[in-house]
Amino acid sequence: MSDTLLQVEDLRVRFDQRGRRVYAVNGLSYRLRAGQMLAIVGESGSGKTVSSRALMGLLPPSATVTGSARIDGVELVGMPEPEMRRHRGADIAMIFQDPTRSLNPTMRIGAQITEAIRAHARVEKDAARARAMELLSLVRISDPQRRFYEYPHQLSGGMRQRVMIAIALASDPKLLIADEATTALDVTTQAQIMDLLGELRSRLGTAIILISHDLGLAASYADDVIVMYAGRAVEYAPTRTLFAKMRMPYTRALLDAIPRLERQSHARLPITPGQPPDLTALPPGCAFEPRCARATPQCRTSRPPFAQHEVGHWWACWNPCKDGEPV
Amino acid sequence: MAVTEVPASSVLAVDETAPAPARKWLRSLAIGLPAGLLVLIFGACFVLPLVAPIPKPTGGDVLSSSLPPFSPGHLLGTDPNGNDIFSRILYGGRSSLIVAISVNLLGLALGGSLGALSAHFGGAVDTIIMRVLDVFIAFPSLVLTLAVAQSLGPSQRNTIFALAFFSIPAFARISRAATLRLREQPFMVAAKLSGTSTWRILVRHIAPNIGPQLMTFAMLGMGIIMIIEGALSFLGLGIPPPAPSWGNMIAQGQLSLSATPLLVVWPSLALFLTVIGFNQLGEALRARWSGR
Amino acid sequence: MLGSPSLRLVGKRLLMAVPIVLGVSILTFWVLNLIPGNAAQQLLGPEASPDQIQQLEEEMGLNRPQVVRYLDWLGGAVHGDLGTSLVSRQPVTDELGPRLAVSGEVVGLAFLISLGLAIPVSLLAARWPNRMLDRISMVVSTTGLSVANYVFALLLVLLFAVQLAWFPAIGYTPLSESVTGNLRSLALPAIAIAFPLFCFYTRFLRSDLVDQMQGEDYIMTARAKGIGPWQVLLRHAFRNSAFGLITIVGLNLSTLIGATVIIEQIFALPGIGQMLLQAINTRDFIVVQACVIVFAIITVLANLLADLLYAVLDPRIRYGSN
Repeated sequence: MSDTLLQVEDLRVRFDQRGRRVYAVNGLSYRLRAGQMLAIVGESGSGKTVSSRALMGLLPPSATVTGSARIDGVELVGMPEPEMRRHRGADIAMIFQDPTRSLNPTMRIGAQITEAIRAHARVEKDAARARAMELLSLVRISDPQRRFYEYPHQLSGGMRQRVMIAIALASDPKLLIADEATTALDVTTQAQIMDLLGELRSRLGTAIILISHDLGLAASYADDVIVMYAGRAVEYAPTRTLFAKMRMPYTRALLDAIPRLERQSHARLPITPGQPPDLTALPPGCAFEPRCARATPQCRTSRPPFAQHEVGHWWACWNPCKDGEPV
Repeated sequence: MAVTEVPASSVLAVDETAPAPARKWLRSLAIGLPAGLLVLIFGACFVLPLVAPIPKPTGGDVLSSSLPPFSPGHLLGTDPNGNDIFSRILYGGRSSLIVAISVNLLGLALGGSLGALSAHFGGAVDTIIMRVLDVFIAFPSLVLTLAVAQSLGPSQRNTIFALAFFSIPAFARISRAATLRLREQPFMVAAKLSGTSTWRILVRHIAPNIGPQLMTFAMLGMGIIMIIEGALSFLGLGIPPPAPSWGNMIAQGQLSLSATPLLVVWPSLALFLTVIGFNQLGEALRARWSGR
Repeated sequence: MLGSPSLRLVGKRLLMAVPIVLGVSILTFWVLNLIPGNAAQQLLGPEASPDQIQQLEEEMGLNRPQVVRYLDWLGGAVHGDLGTSLVSRQPVTDELGPRLAVSGEVVGLAFLISLGLAIPVSLLAARWPNRMLDRISMVVSTTGLSVANYVFALLLVLLFAVQLAWFPAIGYTPLSESVTGNLRSLALPAIAIAFPLFCFYTRFLRSDLVDQMQGEDYIMTARAKGIGPWQVLLRHAFRNSAFGLITIVGLNLSTLIGATVIIEQIFALPGIGQMLLQAINTRDFIVVQACVIVFAIITVLANLLADLLYAVLDPRIRYGSN
């Protein structure tokens, strides 16, 4: 496809730590178009964060990345570090979960932004400062002249996250990865930040990957959703399709766990029994099988392939949910 | 479904560059080796003279002065006064270790309790005690102990007393900080609210919890105390000659440094091995108890 | 530039220093007079008769109650009069100046050497953790902490003065006489004091830097910008470590200052440490008192300085929270 920005194929990441091998990502594939917002949803340990860090080469030395991830045709997997640095910030940028900890507490906001600006271009100090002010206005921070000289602890949580976004956008990246970017914020601020991201997407054409454990968030903002479990994509579809016709029992369970207004107060949330799988010893069959209410004997012995079973809708399940069927 | 949040770096926040796997036996070795070394040293200083034919450390015969190592009957030779060096090392170690242990016990018991009580009571009591401690801690330790030692005159008992001036406030400060951290804990609040007596709180609740920290500090403190005691004796204000102490042996050796450097080397080595034994043990215990 | 929280902190700390300095002087006085009546006896020696002792005590006003003697001394001290040496009959304050200069120079050099080595070594170690340089420096600094500074000093003398004759074993050459001579005479003492400090600083700095590089989110943010590893290390990690470094430098100041006593003794340097020791040996308790108090006051002031530096530099303290 001509407007494919990022093509990920069979991405695998394993960690060799202290004699143990952890299989964190086990064959992830997806395609991201320019300007598209993709949500990657899963619980902790699903590999969503690790796969994104792999794209930017931000994994520790104990990680081995195989497979392919191409941005604008350039292969990122196996890229040597000095070259990787040229792409970080300039092509792909990332914002993190906790804006309090993600900003250097002893460095002024302005300096942290200009550092990002000057990382990829020779820019004069004054020009950099002007651009930083622009960015601060872009992310809707009031009184940028004053804020420029302030320290992170003088700003609120929402403002800090905006600063993070400004830093991320400093070198005009084509792709912005928001790794649990709103998890640490209160609901109102969350909505503001998400609105900002949406606005930036339409104004600047930046593609956004939204990583979250919150399926509801994905539903409200993303174009497409990938659901990950045990290092693999288990369902992938445009948002509306996914929510209309959920196939994977796991996705179903994720959705059902979201507290809703319609439910009776104090009614128990449906809980899926069991624990996420041990990533050092993955089973031969479907990783979700031990916890799945729809499991069949086939599920235990052989892994369902991740395939496009319906138009634009991929999943990996031997016994998917039918339309309108509860788990 | 238990959905837990994962902070950005925690998934990968294992010590990525730790060289060897922190397996259990390696940890045990970290504790075992220094502990073994210390057992050897203690054994040598306290037990060996009782069971082996070690000559006396003082009252040497001038006729057999400055004998080289491996002379018959003198493993490390003799010093200019004719005293057997090996024996002086052992007996000197005995004095130095007794001083260090006594000082640490005093510090642990008196300083530890003082700090814990001060933190426990809080308020004006705490402030006053803190101010007094600040004054003690404001002193460079060696200078303070010098002043006390000078005032009292050199002897083993006075050395212990002088060093306690430095050790008790140090323990008190650590103990107070540890107790303060403990105060926040729910079980402490509960104990206080339920009217438990101060003594009981101190013994049953505070002591077991700050104990490990204090013990680690005591281990590390042993090294420091031994070095300062060595300094005191080196300057002539600690354990008085002719009784041996590693410190005064080093001082004596300094007088003929170029001619007989070994006189300095033997006690220095003994001091170094003992201090490193305590330091490593303290570090290993700290690692074990803080669960890193 | 200085927000008011900072000024208030400075003022508060200065204010707190005064009672501490007073307390220090009281403590000194008390410690040195633990056995009353000892001073005169010590001066005259064991052969003195009780009459002689009593006469001397009266002459020197030693039979007055301690509190009175202390207040008397305090009155003088506030005016810069720390008494008259019993041995040299000169005002103590006169002698202090040049002595402090010598000690100051040694300590200053030691400071420069220890930090000047610790910082680059730690940075290099943190840049390539667990490689050769890191392992070696960690072993050296861990072992080094178990070596007494006087032992190290003697070993230095043995190697560099006796064997290699690069530096003099003892003695001091004043700056006015010869700069190189001065530096040569102070090299070994400064290194002896600097080595344990180097070990301490390196251990702290290296682990603080590595902890940050591995655990802190803002490091990840910095890397995500695409800046190089040295920039990340220096502009982000080291910047934050600097605060911790100030704190431990402050903590160590009293050790640093106390070290002068024994090092000056070994190298026969005419500093304040040697002054104290000589006074002790000659039973000149006026000088002993003065020296001990000067030592303590310097420690208090130095700690205060470190505290203030921290308060002024750390933006979290300087600007408070919003």
